[in-house]
This record gives sequence, C-alpha cells and structure tokens, in this order.
Amino acid sequence: MTFKIMLIGEAAREHAIAEAIARSSYSPKLYSLMTYRNPGIARIAEKTGGGVFIGSFLDPGFVAGKALELGVDMVVIGPEEPQFHGVADAVENNQIPCIGARREVAEIERSKAFMRRLMWKYSIPGRLRFQVFKNVEDAVEYLKEYAESIAIKPARQVGGKGVKVLADLQTYLSSDRCEVKVKHARDIYGKIMRDYVDIDDKILVEERVEGPEYTLQCFTDGYTVLPTPLVQDHKAAFEMGIGQETGGMGTIASSKPTLPFITEEEYLESVRIVEESVKALHRETGVRYRGVISGQMMLTTLWGPTIIEFYSRLGDPEALNIMATMETDIVELFEAIVSGKLSKIKLRFKPLATVVKCIAPEGYPQRRDIAKGHLVSVDESSINALGCRVYYGSIHQSSNGLVTMGSRAVEVIAFAETIPEASRICEEAVRYVKATDGWRLFHRSDIGDPEVLARQVEQAETIRNIYKYRATRKLLGLHLDWIPGRGKITIKY
Amino acid sequence: MVGFTSIYAFDDSWRVSRFTYYALLALQHRGQESAGIAVYNGRLSHHLSQGFVDNVFNDDVLHMLQGWLSIGYVSSGFNSTYMSYVKNPTELIICTCRLADNVALKLSNNLSRYDPFEAVEKLVREVNQPITFTALTGGGEAIVFRDFLGLNPLSIGAYGFDYGAVASETSALECIGADPKGDVKPGEAYLFTPYSIRRETLFKTCRRLCSFEYVYLARPDSVIDGIPIYDARYRIGVELAREWPIEADYVIGVPDTALPFAIAYAQTLGLQFHIGFISTGRKYRTAIKPSIFERIVGVQLKLNPIKSVFRGRRIVIVDDSVIRGTTTRNIVSILKNRVGAREVHVLVGSPKVVYECPYGVDVPPRDELIAANLSDEEVSYVTGADSFHWLSINSLQKALGIDFRELCLGCFTGSYPEVDL
Repeated sequence: MTFKIMLIGEAAREHAIAEAIARSSYSPKLYSLMTYRNPGIARIAEKTGGGVFIGSFLDPGFVAGKALELGVDMVVIGPEEPQFHGVADAVENNQIPCIGARREVAEIERSKAFMRRLMWKYSIPGRLRFQVFKNVEDAVEYLKEYAESIAIKPARQVGGKGVKVLADLQTYLSSDRCEVKVKHARDIYGKIMRDYVDIDDKILVEERVEGPEYTLQCFTDGYTVLPTPLVQDHKAAFEMGIGQETGGMGTIASSKPTLPFITEEEYLESVRIVEESVKALHRETGVRYRGVISGQMMLTTLWGPTIIEFYSRLGDPEALNIMATMETDIVELFEAIVSGKLSKIKLRFKPLATVVKCIAPEGYPQRRDIAKGHLVSVDESSINALGCRVYYGSIHQSSNGLVTMGSRAVEVIAFAETIPEASRICEEAVRYVKATDGWRLFHRSDIGDPEVLARQVEQAETIRNIYKYRATRKLLGLHLDWIPGRGKITIKY
Repeated sequence: MVGFTSIYAFDDSWRVSRFTYYALLALQHRGQESAGIAVYNGRLSHHLSQGFVDNVFNDDVLHMLQGWLSIGYVSSGFNSTYMSYVKNPTELIICTCRLADNVALKLSNNLSRYDPFEAVEKLVREVNQPITFTALTGGGEAIVFRDFLGLNPLSIGAYGFDYGAVASETSALECIGADPKGDVKPGEAYLFTPYSIRRETLFKTCRRLCSFEYVYLARPDSVIDGIPIYDARYRIGVELAREWPIEADYVIGVPDTALPFAIAYAQTLGLQFHIGFISTGRKYRTAIKPSIFERIVGVQLKLNPIKSVFRGRRIVIVDDSVIRGTTTRNIVSILKNRVGAREVHVLVGSPKVVYECPYGVDVPPRDELIAANLSDEEVSYVTGADSFHWLSINSLQKALGIDFRELCLGCFTGSYPEVDL
C-alpha cells in the first residue's frame, strides 16, 4: 500500500519539503493543503499521484477532517501558525501521526515571553535579559527610564514583523533614539498586536546583542535532537546588508555542518542549548515535541552561542539548504520521529556548499500592496542546466501565468564546493527569473560574497576572544558592573 | 574640498538631523568654511551658512529640520553653491563639489525626463567632470553618486534595519552608530526610494584615487577604498626611514596628521619619538585657511613647543605635506630659536606639491607653492632646516600599495587623469 502524506503550507519551504518527500524511496503520495496554488508544490503533488487542496489550514477540525477523508498516513506541518492554532493536536487526536509541534510546545515560538521565561526557569545557556509588558504605558515608562541598547519586539510571533533592534552607544544621539523606541512600542501595541487577541503579553524588550547570526534547524521526537548543518540567513532587504528587515533574502551553508565563522565546539554548544530547551519544554508542559525546532542564534560576547528566537519549524529560506542536500530518506526520518525512535536515525547530507537567493518584487517588504500582482516568468530549464533548482514562494499560478503575491516570489538554490562559488552560480541562475510586466524584481548579489564572509570571520574571532575570556573566569551568565556612588551590581542570568 | 553625508531612515519615526549634524562634525576636517543640512519629511527644507558645523547649527536649528531623510555637507569654500535647491521641473536639493555649474538645474531637468540612473548618467556626461554628489528629491528619494574616477571618497553603511547612511569617510558613519559596509565604487550611483535601495555602475572608467586623501586629507581612523588611512600613513613613515635615514636623537611629528609618519619613522630607525607641540583651541586645518593672516594665526596657535627634552638635541621633524612652507618655517624657527635644538631636519611625507588641483583639493596657485619655486637647497635655507627631504613618488606608491595607473598624482606630477567620457 502506498504511503500517503499530507503537507500543510505553500511557501518555498514547503516546496523544498515536498521535493524531499517526492525523492523518498517509499514513493509516497503527496497531498498538499495550501491557501493558494503554489505551482511547485502542486506539480510535485500531482506527479506523485496525490492531490492539491486549496483552503485555510488554520482550522484544526478542517485539517484533521481532510486528513481522515484522504486516509493519509501522516501529516507534515510546514509553517508555524497552524501549530499555534492546535492543528497538530487535532491531527494526533485522530490517531494520525503528525510532524509538527503541538500547541503547548509550539508556544516556544508563538510567545517570545514564554520562551525567555522557560530559558530562565531552566537556566538554559544563551538566554538574554528581558522585560515583558501587557500595557503600553508601562513599556513607554520603562523605555524612557532605561535608555540602553535594546531590541523591542511584539511578544508574539507575528510573521517575523515588528522587531526593532536599537544599538544605543552614542549618548549624544540617545534622546532621538528614545523617541523612536517609544513610538515603536506604541506601534506594536496599537497596530501590530491589535489583531492578536490570543495573548496577554504585548511588548517584549530584550537586551541587544551583536554578532554573526546563524540558524540551527533540528528534528526531534521529544527525546532525541538531531541537528542539521548550520545555515545563515540574510535579513536586510538590500545589497550590502542595508535595508529593512525581511523574512530573509537568502542563505548560505558550507559543505560542513558548521559555517566558516562558527567552530565545531560552538556548533555542539548550540545543539546542547536546543536539547536542553526540548527537555525543559517537556518538563514544563508534559508534552513530547515531535517535529522541527530551530534556534535562530547569534555568537555573542555574553555567552558565545545565544538564542535570539526559537522556531517550531524549519526556517524559510533556511529549509532549502537542508532539504536539498539531505540524503537520509525523509519518510524514514519522519517515521522515526512519530514513533519516538529518532535515536536510530543518522542524518546524512551531501558535502556541498549551498547558496539560496530569494527574488522579490519591488515593494517588498514595506509595500506589499504594490509588490503584488506582477507577472513573472521562470526559465526553469536554464536554471536547472546550471545545476540550480527553483522553489516557488509567494507566487501563484493564474490563467495568465505566475503572479506575485507581495513577498519573496521565487527562491533559487545553487550547489558548489565553496560558498562563494555557489553564490557565483546562483547569480547566473537568478537572471532567468524575470518580471514580464515591466515591474522590477530584486535579489541580493552579496549573499555568499567572500568579502562579507571574511568580515564575519573577523567579527566572530573578536567575539570568541571575549566570551572565552569570560568563560575562563566563570563570568558567563553573569553581569558585573560598578556604578560610581551606587556600588557594585551583580546580575545573575 | 567637501565632505558629504546622507542618511536614509526606513521608517518615518526617525528624525535624522542630529545624526547628520554629528556626521558633519566628524567630517569637519574636510571643510571648515561652510556647512549645510537638508531634510525631507514630505517636503524639503534646508539650512546652510558660513562657519564651522557647530556654529552653523544649534539645537533650535536642528529641531526645525525635521525629517527622516537628509543630506549634508561641509566645505572649504566661501559661497553656498555647495548646496543648491531647485523647484522645477523636478524639485530637488543637491550637495556637490564646486566643479560644475548648474548641476542642480541640469539634474532637475534630467529627472523630469529619464529614470534616475539615466538622469545621473546624462548629467555627468553633460558636465564631463568627475563630480560627486548627494541629492534629495521632492518625492522623497535620495540619489548618491561617486565620481567616475573615485577622486572623492564615499562610503556606505547601515544602522541595523533602521537607516542607511553615506559619508565621505567611514569614521563619520561610525560616529552616528552606522556600520560601514563598503565603498561606493567610482562611477557607481545609489538610489534610495521609499521602498527600495538600488545601485548601478554608471561608468566603468579606470579608477584614479586621490593620493592626497591618503597623505593628508582623510582622518586616520577612516578606511578609504579598502585601505586604512592610519596604515597607509604608517607605511609612508617606514618608506621615509628607508629613503632618508637621519642620525638624530628624537623624532617629532607635526600635529596631527603627521604623527603616524613620525611614529613609523622613529620605530623603523630605533629612534625615540616624542610629542613636540601642543595646540590651543580648535583643530584648524592650517593649510586650507583662505587668508595668510588666518594661516599664520592657525599655525602659531597649533604649535606651542614642549621645550624640556629637545634643548641641544638633534631633531627630525616629520610633516605630512609642505605647500607654502608657512608651517614648516614656523616650526623650524620655534625649534631652533625658542627650544634650542642643535639640528633640525625636516622630512615630508609626501612628494613635492608643485601643481594645482583641478578637482577640488585646495592647492594654492603655483606661485605660492614653495617646492615649485625653490630648489631643495633654497628650501633648506629659507626654512632654516639643516636638511630638508621629500618622499619620492615611487615610495608613496609603494606605501599606498595602489597601482600607479589607479592613482591621481596630479598635484605632484602635473599629469592629471583623462576625464573625457
């Protein structure tokens, strides 16, 4: 009997998961549930003899019903929002195995306040000082009182939006920055969080840290945590890392599990943080975590590996680097997760460097309204001829052709021995993605640039030097200070 | 000479005038005669005047200049053509070097007819000069262009996800909390719009970087076209030591620019380096003061000697450049007459400045250039130095590590880069 999998989601991440499922030696049938017709996923689903269903996947009853109706053997949830709504719970309650965090454990992504409290309660390394506010005036008062380098975030995951990171190292510019902090707190409360009534905590203020960032994506069955190679996303919208924050404009991964600026030791320490968090989640909620947990991490002087955020899913575009190079059969991997036998699995990846570049219509990320509705042509065969692959994201198939939907439309991955070489090949490939209505598409040519890499290696060395100094003096997790006239201050993390 | 900056915040809750002000303060050494800031907050407004940055602007003025986009300049020129405003056909305000007339109007015309990159390209072809500029349009766009020879340095950076910034030197970016991300390449233009940042290479000419930036103009804490200025100046000192090793007791540098040369010279030859002079008041750039009176006042205030250690000693004094010789004459005379040094040898960390600069560096007319009018022996005699030596052009090139074909050495050689596009 053929194995049947239902995949939820329609972004490039799910396209990459779909492709890995289609590669499986078990030749599963893929059923896709998505809110719009992603041409890449649709093509794969149809080719495997499965099918495509267009509909909202946030309703747990609807998803579970659909899975029962189709008689699928497993449900795989790509994005975070269905997890927050309890889709995994509903599916599992109907005795269908599910890859995707149950509501209680997906809380680690949904609520940034929950995540920080958990890390503090269980003394997990890589945690940051934070304050949570339910009320905007309290937040404003705090921001005015403590003008420091901080990050201000919505306390809930809201699709990665609304995060402001403000270094405040020049006293002569502090008052101007404070105005921005206060205004942003008001925006989070009044605009961004207004639509989310499912959470009391509204505004999170966190100490701001600095360093190279990387994503550690792990599979877990609640007992074992299996890490995948590190991937680095590039969040700024435009060339040279200038511009607004986006969901990610492209990624790099090396032919090894680490990145050029992260040591083996730091990789292992990062994995340990995720392992401890999974354990803590179980102790806190009593629920086994079955699915993906990703640490969006940063190398900092405070700890070395530090958690910026957790994802209860694969990253997008980080998923592409992992899914495209994974040699382990994904069905075997998923089976091991749902049966609690993940310790028996060994993950294998092709030893290739990968670079992903996202192509977005002008207007993204600030003006999605004008980025929407543009016709795009993708010359897949020319891209494939370069050894690259295309994944469709925020784009749908209409009768007129491919139409942008306002976010990152197409993602292209390239493979090579080294990151810069993969970047070069990827640059050639992205030329085959064009807008046919005269609108401008953009991508970042600097992702995977050797100079940018070298600068990060240098920055990582500087940071490593400091956190190692702190480690040898047993100062990790401690903040020691002295204020003239007030005396010594010791803050224990 | 001119210093430029531009700040582009990605959300309108920022007020960037104070940031612009501090960036200009950091660029003050590039021009001390006038300064200006323009901002955009749905409409353009600006303020400029003669004087130092902190004379031109105060809290009230900065408070009036509300906006989330800005451009600003400092300049060593008197008049206000460095920042100009045009209402029609395309409203804009521009900061540029003084080379070309009517740049504002020409750009305004072009922008009404072509896309912004094409408009810049056509403007530069019309003007046919290596101009660098920053501009803001009435539509809330910023346009930044670095001259196609790369004579004017220009760096770009960012502060997190909040603003992009451009400045003549990286130190100005750092001063406002922005991380330098790289150089605007010669002939490259950036366009900031409310929803994108685009860059395009409009001219692919051979770069001809201004060697004077490395020798004298730029701050030692800046990095220009990948070369840290301090490192370049240190290597110049090493080259001086190789070319002109002098038996002496102490080495002094003329503050502030020549200090790295002097340190490197002393370290290379195993001589003692000492601080020789303490300045009074503001750090004037004496070479670029317009009147003789101001230059002499500047030099004298800059150079009160520390007398104790130098009496009866043989001293090497290293200067960054000698233009008219005003500073050098004062220094030698102070060291000999007031301090009582036994010997004073002058070393100059640049080749002889013997030609004017057609590209905006304030080199005086040829009849005011000491090296263009006197032989080495005469220079020694006039300045009162025991010996007087210049860095050779070859050594300068070696110290900078830039190919001859990629350097402008016009003020030393009289041979200038081709500008015909």
